[in-house]
Amino acid sequence: MQVQVPGSRAAEAKRLVRAVGREPFRMRSWAELGFFLAGSALALSGVLLLGAVGVLGVGLSVVFVGTFVLAGGLRTARGLGRWQRLLAGRLLGEQLAGPEAPPARPGPLGWLRSSLGDRAAWRAVAYLAGRIPLTVFGVWFALSVWVEAFSGVLSPFVGHAAAGRFGAFSRLLVPAEAGSHPPGALTRVGVFLGGVVLLFIAPWTMRLVVQLDLRLMRLLLGPDAASSRVRSLEVSRSKTLDATTETLRRIERNLHDGTQAQLVALAMRLGQAKDKLDHLTPVSAAADVAAVRRLVDEAHRGAKEAITDLRDMARGIHPPALDTGLENALATLAARSAVPTEVTVSVQARPSAAIEAISYFCAAELLANVAQHARATRASLSCAQHGPWLRIVVRDNGKGGAALDRAGSSSSGLAGLADRVATVDGHLSVASPPGGPTAVTVDLPWRS
Amino acid sequence: MNSGTDTLRVVIAEDSAILRDGLVQLLADRGFVVTRAVSDAPSLEQAVAADLPDVAVVDIRMPPTFTDDGLRAALAVRHRYPEVGILVFSQYIETRYAAELLAGGAARIGYLLKDRVADVADFVEALVRVASGGTALDPEVVTQLMGASRRTDTLAALSAREREVLALMAEGRTNSAIATGLVVSEGAVEKHVANIFAKLNLPATPTDHRRVLAVLRYLEG
Repeated sequence: MQVQVPGSRAAEAKRLVRAVGREPFRMRSWAELGFFLAGSALALSGVLLLGAVGVLGVGLSVVFVGTFVLAGGLRTARGLGRWQRLLAGRLLGEQLAGPEAPPARPGPLGWLRSSLGDRAAWRAVAYLAGRIPLTVFGVWFALSVWVEAFSGVLSPFVGHAAAGRFGAFSRLLVPAEAGSHPPGALTRVGVFLGGVVLLFIAPWTMRLVVQLDLRLMRLLLGPDAASSRVRSLEVSRSKTLDATTETLRRIERNLHDGTQAQLVALAMRLGQAKDKLDHLTPVSAAADVAAVRRLVDEAHRGAKEAITDLRDMARGIHPPALDTGLENALATLAARSAVPTEVTVSVQARPSAAIEAISYFCAAELLANVAQHARATRASLSCAQHGPWLRIVVRDNGKGGAALDRAGSSSSGLAGLADRVATVDGHLSVASPPGGPTAVTVDLPWRS
Repeated sequence: MNSGTDTLRVVIAEDSAILRDGLVQLLADRGFVVTRAVSDAPSLEQAVAADLPDVAVVDIRMPPTFTDDGLRAALAVRHRYPEVGILVFSQYIETRYAAELLAGGAARIGYLLKDRVADVADFVEALVRVASGGTALDPEVVTQLMGASRRTDTLAALSAREREVLALMAEGRTNSAIATGLVVSEGAVEKHVANIFAKLNLPATPTDHRRVLAVLRYLEG
């Protein structure tokens, strides 16, 4: 394949120059400067406040009141962290997730315990502590560049005295006249040009500092790794519970509407037959025996239907073929499919039992969809290891147009399947243009 | 065959097609007139309004919501057409459903497990009983209500045999049926019944609903 070269080296350089040239006039650069200034002010006042609270708290802790003062300080640190995140959101559009609220416990002692044990608050203190060296670095590395740039650019207008106080960098540019009073014309031009150059450098140094700050914020002001893992596990656990309950409900519904009803109907027919035999009279014998035969026939047929349905249902709960591995189970499944289906299974090891079961049900559901909705004449089912995933792909040559959206009137159940797959952190994707062909891909983690 | 049902008119509400068809066939066979067989709760109310049958056979779990739609419809029918007997039948017995059904009195009310249709004669007898103003409760209903009742003190005075008799009364049986069931003479049953009325403080009244009252007392525990 021909790789398209995006322009010559000259064009690339031109683009770079344009990007650098535009930078000082972009809102983003000014927002970053504002963020650094506001954040530094907030952090410095926070550190001063916390320092005072710390001294006061430790001093008073002999009389126990100090402990409350310390707890209050921690709550404040947490609040400052929130403000920092708000600043980042407002000025930079960086929406950072906050930590979870400390657990609410009753009473003042409960409040004290929650506050002192609040990991997020302690991490906010760590952030404030880390923000001090970052502020110093930022002032030296980025803010000073902005100041130099301003003073240089503005020097022709505000007089050299004011500009010269800062123009250290500019003086380096024109060392010959350094220190001479009053500065000569060359110096003035040099200071101005130096300012212009710095104006294009300042946004980049500031960006570095702001990125460092954002990184520090994500590290210390966001939800900590353990608690966000807990949260995601809670979500997946509740999904799993829902799915399990849903499965049990489906089994109950199937038993109620299927087997139970069939057996009641069966018992009813046999009851009727017995009743007729009980009331057999010589007059009605011939007709009654015929009726009894008919009832017994129906009962017999009903019994066989009930057995078939019950076997299908049992297989739906746990397919026995799965006990010997996915390959056998999928082959059996494809052989039973109404649409001729080609199977390829290339899996060396066995995935966990739960993953095997889910892959089986996905394949079963997808093949059932093909038979019901796709109007296909051929289908294929492949199952292979794909990195850390077990990938199942079901293709058909049908009419296409399958969609994941819930609102759709098609009862293909793809959305339900996607939910089920999500309970084990898997994914389901559908490629089904109108007119077909359709390919549904399910990726499941090797171990659930 | 053995009619004696005076061509009772029946409406059937059952969503399972095989059971609905089976019931229609069974009841027609036994000389009932099935005026309509419907498969969901709203149609039941319409069918009753249109046909005013002697009795409606109602499945509890039906469309539209597959919860207790049948029971709701049955209660609505009871409210608007109290003269229509209601035989609720279901795969499960729920005490709460039984209590709701019986809240307005036990006359013309039946609540049976679906399994009971297997004993055709008993089922038909229960249906006739409900159609003609009586009560038919599944032994399972009685057991559950007995287990659920907290206040057994009113019943504490009864002897074991009297309780057995009362339980059979609660199922809606006549004295002669109770006598057959317990293998005693009908006279003995009458004596037990009289004792039960006395112990439950149910003096003879002109309207003579004592049987129903005793059963209710029993079910309330």
